Amino acid sequence: MASTNRFDAIVIGSGVSGGFAAKELTEKGLRVLMLDRGVMVEHQEGYTYDGKPAYEVPARNMMPQSLMQSNYFIAKHGYVAPSNQKFYNDDKANPYDYDEGSPFYWIRPGAVGGKSLIWGRWSFRWAPEDFEANKRDGIDGVWPIGYDDVAPWYSYIEKYIGVSGSRENLPYLPDSDFQPPMPMNIAEKWVKQRLEAKFPGRKLINTRLSNMTQDKPDQNRTKCQFRNQCSNGCSFGAYFSTQAVTLPAARATGKLTLRSDAVVTNLEYDAARKKVTGVRYVDAKTGQAQVVNADLVFLCASAMASTQILMNSRAPGSDKSYFDNSGTLGRYVMDHIFRVGVRGDIPGMEDYIEYGRRPGGVYVPRFRNIGGEEGVGFKRGYGYQGSARREPAKPVGFGASMKEGMRKYGGWKFDMGAFGECLPYADNRVSLNASKLDRFGMPVMRFDVTFRDNELKMMKDARQQGEMMLREAGLLNVSSSESEHVPGDAIHEMGGARMGADPRKSVLNGWSQAHDASNLYVTDGAQMASVSCVNPSLTFMALTARAADHAVKAMRA
Amino acid sequence: MFGSALFAPIARAAGASLVAKMPVINDGPPTTAIFTAPQRALMTALSERVMPTTDTPGAITAGVPAFIEKLLADWASPNDKVPIVAGLDAIEARSMKDYKVSGSKATPAQQDALLTLAMNDQIPGGANFFEPFRQLVIVGYFTSEVGITQEREYLPVPGEYNGEFLYSKVNKVYSS
Repeated sequence: MASTNRFDAIVIGSGVSGGFAAKELTEKGLRVLMLDRGVMVEHQEGYTYDGKPAYEVPARNMMPQSLMQSNYFIAKHGYVAPSNQKFYNDDKANPYDYDEGSPFYWIRPGAVGGKSLIWGRWSFRWAPEDFEANKRDGIDGVWPIGYDDVAPWYSYIEKYIGVSGSRENLPYLPDSDFQPPMPMNIAEKWVKQRLEAKFPGRKLINTRLSNMTQDKPDQNRTKCQFRNQCSNGCSFGAYFSTQAVTLPAARATGKLTLRSDAVVTNLEYDAARKKVTGVRYVDAKTGQAQVVNADLVFLCASAMASTQILMNSRAPGSDKSYFDNSGTLGRYVMDHIFRVGVRGDIPGMEDYIEYGRRPGGVYVPRFRNIGGEEGVGFKRGYGYQGSARREPAKPVGFGASMKEGMRKYGGWKFDMGAFGECLPYADNRVSLNASKLDRFGMPVMRFDVTFRDNELKMMKDARQQGEMMLREAGLLNVSSSESEHVPGDAIHEMGGARMGADPRKSVLNGWSQAHDASNLYVTDGAQMASVSCVNPSLTFMALTARAADHAVKAMRA
Repeated sequence: MFGSALFAPIARAAGASLVAKMPVINDGPPTTAIFTAPQRALMTALSERVMPTTDTPGAITAGVPAFIEKLLADWASPNDKVPIVAGLDAIEARSMKDYKVSGSKATPAQQDALLTLAMNDQIPGGANFFEPFRQLVIVGYFTSEVGITQEREYLPVPGEYNGEFLYSKVNKVYSS
């Protein structure tokens, strides 16, 4: 028998971070065990409804109301549908707590690949500004690293996964190593030209997206076919997912063992050596608990789940985690604030329409408070994601005239939504509810996280500025909306085990390595000391590859 | 250092199963009958009046009536059927009063007149019936094979994106 039970490293989680950890560590020669609590989904064959029209999907691909309320009452705030049901967590089976008055939407995946199968794929580098902001603003949580530490790893990741986008040379939003951008449509170009003319310094640019515009034959991946099937799993491998990109690479080394349905509950620890000595998990199929060992552990279970595992790693009878000598574990939880939308009609250009169903759209990068506070009443800023399109006409009435009326398209419409940066607050925290165990015997998570004055003021500004920009650009019937801002809703939850130079104020050091355990790295969203306003996954991948490089060099030193 | 240790199965919470099977969506025949036979006949006839057969098939060929009953039985909120059933009964009563025949046996012109009364809220529960029913028909039709592949143009793999495509080259509205 091959020594399949002997591993050099254990990777917990298989999303954007875990998948990259497995790829990097196996390619560096380590025998890796990757554990994921979700069900197995193989690339292509596991995408049950990829390419299927609605009439070949259960319930015409509309989630039944009763099922939504019984099992997907949190997932419904994401994008769960019958065609991707198995990619999402069953909220009934896996409960968590919050006070009635201050909800947190913990939108979780349910399959191997984690959120890499359900993500929006908008991919941005952080700016130097983002790493410096806490220090500049005098906010607790100074980053121990800067843009220059991460830049080469951004480049490494981008070249491998394929990020499409346009080079802009903007001071705030650094360019990636791009594949060609997905084009703007004629109406978006019209908005861009007029918005940028009216508002010097503000930009409307192509999406930056982990959907490819060029093939990667060496990875058996084909560029985007503009089908609008991303959320069902893409059999072309056109967008970055663990299944399409990092899992095949890790498997190709022959050094990866992947166990699905493996629910990690806690880490075992040797206080004298300050090392993690074991990873305990429960097989969700059999109920068997097991402890596995390795020299190195990468915890990549997602920001909140990694924090939960760290909090649940404690001596018998103690409620204090082995990894919380700083007292900051579970604190400084953040999400992007959103649910502000602006929209309007674009006059003219009715001789043109889109062909193909493009993922993504256009982006308005942050323009507030760059380089310092501008006296706008809040710190930091926001960006907008949007697109222009024409939809089939919606005539009233019934009968042949209605049917005929639906055979043409309406005019161009544009809309965009803001994503704003949330500040880190010590009392935005998660904890374990010791009195309520889940089906694996693990205390459930309790969320005490709210948006504060700075975030709400920022959204008010985003709404006003968005309306003004669209009006001044010449759009008609401009309107805006704002709905309840619930943390977690943006599915960009971060923090809980932040990075910092000072072990008294942070859980991890600048290499994503636990201050209290030299062989433990936490490389998902848990490590973030602030959240920028741009989508975070690209940064998680870059920090993961950087940490893997550091860990293996340290092992071999 | 290497190796793994097996532990006894962990204690289970009383009554709770460790294994959580993914809930299966009921895609078979309706688990309950939403309509009486006369209601079903009227609903079927009216669905065709909302989305009639023209140069492409209408609601009946597209299977919309069966979709509506299945949706109301198993997929929608339990309350969603109430205004639909009540509206059908009100339309039936009005048909008997105005035309002395059951609504399903009325002529297409008479059925259109009845639907118009409902649309304009000129029969009890008319408006509460009309728009939800119209939406059921539209959704059922445009998620059917007929709606997706015949009334509209189905492009499963466009292969490219053109943001300045000439509208004059569009034959039919594209299925999304």
